[in-house]
Amino acid sequence: MSMLSYQHFPIYAIMLYFLGAFLIVLFGKNKIARHCLALLSVTGSLALLVSLVPRVMTGGEIITYWMGNRAYSGGYAIGIALEVDALSLFFALLVAVAVFVSGVYSIRYMEHDDNIPQYYTLFLMLAGGVMGLVLSGDLFNMFIMVEILTFAAVALTAFRNTARGALEAAFKYLVVGSIGSTCILAGTIMLYAQVHTLNFAQLSGLIPGHIHGATRVAFALLFVGFSTKAFLVPFHPLAADAHGAAPASVSVLISGVLTKSGIYGIIRLVYFLFQTMNLRPIQFMLVFVGSVSMFVCVTMALAQHDFKRLLAFHSISQIGYVLTAVGLSTALGISAGLYHAMNHTIFKGLLFLAAGAVLHETGTTDLDRLGGLSKRMPHTTVLFLIGAASISGIPPFNGFASKWLIYQAAYLRAVETGNIGYLLVTIIALVTSTLTLASFVKVSQSVFFGQLPDEFKDVKEVPFGMRLAMSLFAILCVLTGLLPDLVTKVLTGPAAQAVLNPVRYIAAARGIEVPAETAALPQAAGAWSPINWLLLLGISLFAITLVALLGKYDRVSENASAETLPAKYDLFFSGEKSVYSQVGGGDLFWGFKYNWRHYFSFMHDLHSGIVNDYALWAVVALALAIAFLQIVL
Amino acid sequence: MFTPAFFTTALLYLGYILIFPGFLFCFVIGLLLCGIDRKAVARMQKRVGPPILQPFYDFFKLCGKETIVPAAASRTTFMLAPLVGLAALVVIQLFIPVFNFRVFRNLPEVADMIVILYLLLIPAVSVMLGGAATGSPYAGIGLSREMVTVLAVELPLVMVLLSVAKAVGNELGTGLVFSLSGVVDYQAAHGSLIGHISMIPAALAMLLIIPGETGNHPFDAAEAETEICEGLLAEYSGAPLGIYKLSHAVKMLTLTSLFVALFLGGIGTGVEHLVAAVGLTGAVAGAVSLILQVLILVLLCIVLTLVTISFVHAVTARLKIEQLFKYYWTVVTGLALISLVLAWYGF
Repeated sequence: MSMLSYQHFPIYAIMLYFLGAFLIVLFGKNKIARHCLALLSVTGSLALLVSLVPRVMTGGEIITYWMGNRAYSGGYAIGIALEVDALSLFFALLVAVAVFVSGVYSIRYMEHDDNIPQYYTLFLMLAGGVMGLVLSGDLFNMFIMVEILTFAAVALTAFRNTARGALEAAFKYLVVGSIGSTCILAGTIMLYAQVHTLNFAQLSGLIPGHIHGATRVAFALLFVGFSTKAFLVPFHPLAADAHGAAPASVSVLISGVLTKSGIYGIIRLVYFLFQTMNLRPIQFMLVFVGSVSMFVCVTMALAQHDFKRLLAFHSISQIGYVLTAVGLSTALGISAGLYHAMNHTIFKGLLFLAAGAVLHETGTTDLDRLGGLSKRMPHTTVLFLIGAASISGIPPFNGFASKWLIYQAAYLRAVETGNIGYLLVTIIALVTSTLTLASFVKVSQSVFFGQLPDEFKDVKEVPFGMRLAMSLFAILCVLTGLLPDLVTKVLTGPAAQAVLNPVRYIAAARGIEVPAETAALPQAAGAWSPINWLLLLGISLFAITLVALLGKYDRVSENASAETLPAKYDLFFSGEKSVYSQVGGGDLFWGFKYNWRHYFSFMHDLHSGIVNDYALWAVVALALAIAFLQIVL
Repeated sequence: MFTPAFFTTALLYLGYILIFPGFLFCFVIGLLLCGIDRKAVARMQKRVGPPILQPFYDFFKLCGKETIVPAAASRTTFMLAPLVGLAALVVIQLFIPVFNFRVFRNLPEVADMIVILYLLLIPAVSVMLGGAATGSPYAGIGLSREMVTVLAVELPLVMVLLSVAKAVGNELGTGLVFSLSGVVDYQAAHGSLIGHISMIPAALAMLLIIPGETGNHPFDAAEAETEICEGLLAEYSGAPLGIYKLSHAVKMLTLTSLFVALFLGGIGTGVEHLVAAVGLTGAVAGAVSLILQVLILVLLCIVLTLVTISFVHAVTARLKIEQLFKYYWTVVTGLALISLVLAWYGF
């Protein structure tokens, strides 16, 4: 096998990140060397993984790679292995894209910080950790990678340790994150004790037939462990604190990449390791946790006053969509869930970068203080609006394309099983989408529109490098929204089929090739062709604009400066002073919150912000999971 | 590619977009509905009321007035938002079948019911962004209330659509029908859905949703000209304001014709039978039956406007925003829920 043959690419993709991290420690004092190293490693990784797409995605090949030329010996798989099927590659691509864009953004965004070499080192360690996790072929290495990424993420959360709350957030994350990591380790140990192997494929071959008390506990431990990495309810308060404190470029990784590693772990756990997704209680568990995360976190987001904390809660709400869809355990559901996972990485990345841009220029993310930035930062505003429309599920952006599939999948599942619970899930998913919209209307109003406070009169647009990074995400938002068929064919469809075919994954580790089932790609029940819609909208908008312009619609010519404009160009305040008239971002949806006041006050009391409480929640969640699985499995 | 047939088709679709059921149709019928509504409310309140054509006069008058962009507003958003909202509405109108007439009968369907639900958000969002772009505090309050109204209406509307999808799916044995033209096709073959017991609560809920979606009295807390100066529109003047008024009128048409498509879609077949009974055949029969179907649709839209918008307007006082939200999430959602449960268990 030559050094350049494609089987090596996955390990190179991981190594490039770690190599970059270590070299930046050595040579990172020099600005140019640092940036070159960082860009080389993020670009190289992305390029290597993209080059695998034709083989693994469309070709259906599974790459198995043994370190040190080891393989199965005596029926047991000893040694470190990578195993890359369509599912792994799908998540690896998400990681690589997010890391690439975030890396480009970091160059200008972090230039005023201290200790920049350390930032890049940790940044690449985090990226390498997640990349290693999704490409790894054995459970213990997954745990190692979980440790690396957790500690890198904790350190990055506290990177701006002079900022208020940064150390506290990092501490909370450290405590609960360690509980999660410990759960994963304990689960791994218990499985090893039962079946004496750590190779993922071999475990997946051995465990499904031999589920008993100890393996059930291991299942619960691993499920809870990966749930903490995805910040699912009840681990959601950590995410809010971490995102609020971390630099925006790191938030992109935590939300777009780290949470995906948790979802990836859960998918591997339920579809491969235990293969229990045909059991209704397990489906219930996933869909329940997903729907609760979806709804609770969107309502939590509505109550936020801080731009980044709001985004953090939305992040978990969207992850809830993903988990719900994956838990439906139909081809359409899995494909829709993975599609949404991808879209979430893209649009949430864009939104965090926009929040970072606001923070970079104004020094705050407080929704009650900001306002009217659209005149000062027009490009950021447009890019933010694209991201906001995507996450709110406004056609034709990508969030709608995947959410639409999730609605269809959930309702089809409801009809197929006759289970009224899935009907409820469909309604929750549909309403959550509108609540998300409400939340982003609030952000648009209180950050980019509304009145411009005097303290931000001199704010400027962010540097080109940051806008470039945001534009990359924005372009992806539009493309993945307009081409759902292509995305399903090349990315999510093959990944969904990999999820439904654990046999191939298990056999591939032994070097046996099971032919790919040529099952049809999942079909939706409804109809949505974004390109045609956009064409229609374009024609009508063109026609209307033409008529409007012919009718002198734009006859608004006042070239005078703001000071000399006649009074009619002022806003109407009906005699009030303008300073008293601004509606605070936090109270924007009073009519909604008033009706839900008991719920909101309950949630307010529940989220005490004390780490002891959150650690207790984690333990309770673990106990519940163990009890639930002991009873039902 | 550029054969005569291509140009004929292109011209045909351009005609659909610009004339019927697109822009011109929306413009005329929408403003007509608006005029009839105003006249009817006035008569119910024992006023003389404006002439039926008053909305047309208003529109053209506004188009001739000066447009003032406030100095604090971001101009592009301010000017573009009304146009996008109107264009999005006109496109939705293309997806709503006029009984047995469909714009996309030879093409794969562009948008199903769930998509239409979300496409309906685009005009609402564009009016919100346009208003927000002015920085006016009245727009801020208007935006808050508009969004809460959208939230309030969304839940029952979702449930109405899901129950229709399920009811039709039950009848056809396919489980689910998300396609709006599929729903109308079913009704054309088997009679209108309003005849099903399970669909009556949903139809009632839909009737109550119409004034909420269009933002008409008593669900007009978001505009409330007497207290917050029309909220989001407070700073608008001239042609952009005219476009917003037009969008509001078109929305009345969209929502009422959506109701007709969902619950009264079987009438088209009756018309075709009637035309056949008279003895017409071929292209003449097609044309006559299309014209009759359009006339009936317009008539039904007028009746629905009178019932759901004018009558309700005349007899109620404006609700506060929290009352509005509560009303939709309890009473209207309850009605939709009854339908959904009935449809679920196959009644």
